[in-house]
Amino acid sequence: MSQALDITRKVADLARLELSASEFETYSKQLGDILTYVERLKQVDVTGVEPMLQPHADQTGLRPSLRGDVVEESPRDADGRPTVLAGGPVVTDDAYQVPPIL
Amino acid sequence: MEKPRTISGIHDAYDAKKLSPVELTRAYLDAISKSDHNAYLEVCSQRALAQAEAAQKQLATKGKVPRAESPLFGIPLGIKDVLTIEGVATTCGSRILEKYRPPYTATAVERLEKAGAISLGKLNMDEFAMGSSNENSAFGPVKHPTHPDHVPGGSSGGSATAVAAGLCAAALGSDTGGSVRQPASFCGLVGFKPTYGRISRYGLIAYASSLDQVGVLTNTVADAATLFDIMSGADGRDPTCVNQPPTKTAAALAAGGNIDWKKTRVGVPKEYFGGGSQPDVQKAIQSSLDWFKSQGAQLVDISLPHTEHAIATYYLVAVAEASSNLARFDGVRFGSRPAAADSAPDLAAFYRQCRAAFGPEVKRRIILGTYALSSGYYDAYYRRACQVRSLIARDFREAFMKVDVIAAPVSPVTAFKRGEKTADPLQMYLMDIFTIPASLAGLPALSVPCGKDGVGLPIGLHLIGAPFKEESLLRFAQGFEKGGPK
Repeated sequence: MSQALDITRKVADLARLELSASEFETYSKQLGDILTYVERLKQVDVTGVEPMLQPHADQTGLRPSLRGDVVEESPRDADGRPTVLAGGPVVTDDAYQVPPIL
Repeated sequence: MEKPRTISGIHDAYDAKKLSPVELTRAYLDAISKSDHNAYLEVCSQRALAQAEAAQKQLATKGKVPRAESPLFGIPLGIKDVLTIEGVATTCGSRILEKYRPPYTATAVERLEKAGAISLGKLNMDEFAMGSSNENSAFGPVKHPTHPDHVPGGSSGGSATAVAAGLCAAALGSDTGGSVRQPASFCGLVGFKPTYGRISRYGLIAYASSLDQVGVLTNTVADAATLFDIMSGADGRDPTCVNQPPTKTAAALAAGGNIDWKKTRVGVPKEYFGGGSQPDVQKAIQSSLDWFKSQGAQLVDISLPHTEHAIATYYLVAVAEASSNLARFDGVRFGSRPAAADSAPDLAAFYRQCRAAFGPEVKRRIILGTYALSSGYYDAYYRRACQVRSLIARDFREAFMKVDVIAAPVSPVTAFKRGEKTADPLQMYLMDIFTIPASLAGLPALSVPCGKDGVGLPIGLHLIGAPFKEESLLRFAQGFEKGGPK
């Protein structure tokens, strides 16, 4: 339990997640249960087995269709701003606005 | 207004002037506004009506539905909120994307609209497609179409309820570990997930990139084939989309011809019939197998020995990919930014403020995934899971040397009650046991209705095909749909 709690603290920090005390307690218990469950994979003999990172990647004749490496300009909205910026919560002129980092 | 249930039914009604695209679109919009299912997160009334009016004008000029060039002419669809439509709010069921309006349209949606489809709106879902009951949506759960206290399944729960409750003619979903097939099974629909790589994922907000695939929820197998053909085919914007021309399964199905059941070998994997399913489910699946046999098909006992490791494999692979994919929601390029974030002392604290908008299941999976990828654990968890994934795919490869299709349950249970299984995430994960293996192997698979339980909740038969053999899979499913138990 305390090991799961330590893991949860470390991992939440790496993932940039802020958790409340009760969330830490819940998640570390659940994480402990899930990690115990996935331990079963250690029983499987995987000697010499290549990891599968994507289905059908080994099939010949099914090569992916790649587009040319050409820069596409983002379309602009009525104010002349690139529409790609619309996803950002705070935008100034042609840029995402972030807090000072230095 | 009695709305036709199928694409061809709608087209026949348009041709006979019994119905117009605007009337039908209005009827759906009206049904949506009166419904309390919480199936839609965003309704695009003006956009949909503009599409319907354009169709109406075209119909007035041509006199008949241009079925060949526009196979979805005037067909009102619902789109799972994981797929982008330019300028239309796309939340993925998450508070973190509450105000997000994407500047581009997903390839799958773009192709459907080009074929004449009308997009009625965006459908509710488990947050970032993580869930099996639609209880993880930040915008509230979706009700089951006929049993309001029950869940519609997930993560494409809004899609399933919308089709079953007559709130759209058909819907798009996405399937990572069963998220199209399981809700289709719970709601009595056809739910079809093609082979990984058939449909472009451009504009499909990523959960687990090596598993995610666009799928459809429809009233009939023929409709599933029509939508699939239009969305399939190479797309330079998704390098995992295979370089193949669009499929032609709908035409093959329409051309008919009886299935030679005597030459059909139906695989029955013993690991899917271990007695863990609800008795009603076992009975319905057995009746389905008996029906195949009565048609002359050969039932072949097969084994998929690594099935017992599928859930552990999935919950390492999927969460690892999710933790990586969801790192982009940082409050800079995407997502909400709470006022407190602007006074954060450093960038890490800023990210933590912004990422507080993730819901509990998403946080849980990010934590597990970050752990599986973290230094010192990568080989023991992520890499090993990918190796077991290879073995699961090999099981299927060997099985398909002996059989043409695999038949099994979609879910061990029928639609359960809301709140019944939320306390224990692991128990919820374990219910995905029958859908996850085909996802890990990247196989085409579908759910087709095969019966009901004691209280009238639908049961789905799971048919799994060999990679890129969607046409024969859909033919078997249509044969079953026409003659099998319901």
